[in-house]
Amino acid sequence: MRNLYYVDGSPECFFTAVFEAWKDGNAYLFSQPNIQTGLGDSWHDVTPDPAKAARVVKKLAALDSRAPYEIDCILRSFSDEKEQIAFEYIRLLVQGGVPVRERLSEPVARRAIELQQKVGAETHNLKGFLRFQETQGGVFYAPCAPDHDIVDLLMPHFVSRFKTVAFVIHDTKRHVAGIYDGRTWRLCATPKNAELILTEQEDGFSRLWKQYYNQVAIPERKNTRQMKAYMPVRYWKFMTEKQGE
Amino acid sequence: MIDENRLKILTDGAKYDVSCSSSGSKRKNTADGLGNAAFAGICHSFAADGRCISLLKILMSNDCVFDCKYCPNRRSADVPRASLTPEEICELTVGFYRRNYIEGLFLSSAVVRNPDYTMELLYKTVLLLRTVYKFNGYIHLKGIPHADKLLTQKAANLVDRMSYNVELPSEESLKLLAPQKTKKSIFTPMGELTAGRAQYLAERKKGGGRVEMKGLGRYLPAGQTTQMIVGASPETDGKILRLTQAMYRKFDLKRVYYSSYIPVVQDPLLPDKTAGLLREHRLYQADWLLRFYGFTSEEILPEDENLPTEYDPKCAWALKNMQFFPVEVNKASVEELLRVPGIGAKGAYKIVSARKHATLTFEHLQKMRIVLKRAKHFITCAGKFFGSDDPETVKFRLMLAERTDSAEQLNLFDQGLLPPADAEKFLLRSTPQNALAVLTGQL
Ligand code: SF4
Repeated sequence: MRNLYYVDGSPECFFTAVFEAWKDGNAYLFSQPNIQTGLGDSWHDVTPDPAKAARVVKKLAALDSRAPYEIDCILRSFSDEKEQIAFEYIRLLVQGGVPVRERLSEPVARRAIELQQKVGAETHNLKGFLRFQETQGGVFYAPCAPDHDIVDLLMPHFVSRFKTVAFVIHDTKRHVAGIYDGRTWRLCATPKNAELILTEQEDGFSRLWKQYYNQVAIPERKNTRQMKAYMPVRYWKFMTEKQGE
Repeated sequence: MIDENRLKILTDGAKYDVSCSSSGSKRKNTADGLGNAAFAGICHSFAADGRCISLLKILMSNDCVFDCKYCPNRRSADVPRASLTPEEICELTVGFYRRNYIEGLFLSSAVVRNPDYTMELLYKTVLLLRTVYKFNGYIHLKGIPHADKLLTQKAANLVDRMSYNVELPSEESLKLLAPQKTKKSIFTPMGELTAGRAQYLAERKKGGGRVEMKGLGRYLPAGQTTQMIVGASPETDGKILRLTQAMYRKFDLKRVYYSSYIPVVQDPLLPDKTAGLLREHRLYQADWLLRFYGFTSEEILPEDENLPTEYDPKCAWALKNMQFFPVEVNKASVEELLRVPGIGAKGAYKIVSARKHATLTFEHLQKMRIVLKRAKHFITCAGKFFGSDDPETVKFRLMLAERTDSAEQLNLFDQGLLPPADAEKFLLRSTPQNALAVLTGQL
């Protein structure tokens, strides 16, 4: 018998649910609509409430300044159980009063930290693996299909590098894009198909890069397994040096 | 845009330099500039040999007047020659950077005409890149031995890291294999850069931080590194590690890289076999012990010996020093934990933070994903011992553990994939005083 709290996927709704389910020992929080329900489960649709959400966040930040960031990461992960894991993370934090990452002997803590690390790791990886192409309008365009919902986490990194140059990071899986116009950036929903016209230089640079990539490897030390372990094949789709292999 | 043929030649000439790390610098972008540096470094791709590609690693020219025996670009070799102009290098770097192919540039060069002429061109390139192209990404510049001191100092003011490669671990070997280089020609500029950095830091302190102009004028924030070729000459690991330790202490090097010799050149003075990856790997492990775990080279091995192949250097040390073990994980200090075979900086950090809230048992450690196949012979958990008392059995188990380790683990240390910054972070987060002592080797 569970009390199901259905949230809309936004952090605000999640924190509202945390507030409402706090004293409920049978609470189960989720955003995945096709959940398997059991006999006797009861269903609540949670409506986001900014005031309740803010109270929860404030409390968390007071207990551990890193907690809001860690929960944000957990909620971006692709796991179907992310809301419940984040909820239990919060319970552990409030009950124990010490950062959850210091309590790795607790199973919940390990699962939460694992998700958070996966999201962090993918964000870090994509800072390296993302590839931009120059379009004729002068905007640099980078498509990607990350496991986790992280485009907005990537934006600040590239904004501070590109400064005066406009660019787009497009998550083709979730149909969202981070768009930077040279001054500010925002997140937008995107159409399913967008057409790109690349500059003439683009082909030249991508050929030089492929040439460099192939030449810089030391043939006597070939180690494909290690290469794939560090750069998983699922990222290759958008990587210039891996096209036409 | 440059042609593919020159790119091929100049990449080929640079690729045996091991370092591709882009870590250690926090250079900021300027208002209308391009790029910045990420302190922990970022890998942008991985080559077919499994190495991280972070920087565009390229020679300005391979047209050398020196004649180092082991080098395919030496004067006496009959190979196609190529050069790039400063503008060409800048355009390539910026073009690659904008597409996020790279984190920055690693520029080196053969000695064209003479050392000063070469250094002048290298300086011109980085100056152009920083000022005209407003590039604030990472730059690693390889210095030219014998070049003018002033030029070198000016270049150091613009780049994030510089390196002079020691190349061979002794003066005799240098004389034999790299006749135009001497220990002095390499150590003198290294020392001058160390002094230059110290002076910069002192001035910054005096000026209340104002000396640090944005982007420009930061003197080697990511310090210096060097590289040694292992197995081209007869020096033992013991000798190599003593040299390493001396350089870490004297020049405040960020890293020493070891490159296991690959015979690309035929010469009666050179071996025709590679030294093998295992030796290189063991040296990196020992190097790690020197830098982060508070070991000295004298503790690790005698001068005339090589590191054991059967197990890693920390295991070897522990087997010889069984009187220190077992240590109790709930009580041991960070530096004691760091001396336990199989427990690294990350493991020590996990233990220290988890034991504040619970008395740790063997099961706890397992669940915390601390690898115990080696460690269990050297620790107790809440008073209980799970290893073997018999030294021969322990030895055997450690050898077995080594053999069952996957290839990935074997390679974690190499290629700069575990950037030192990462390890420092873990150590610093544990208990500051102790960990600092471990870091600085002051234990
Ligand atoms: S100085 Fe020696 S190692 Fe460097 S390019 Fe010339 S011959 Fe090769």
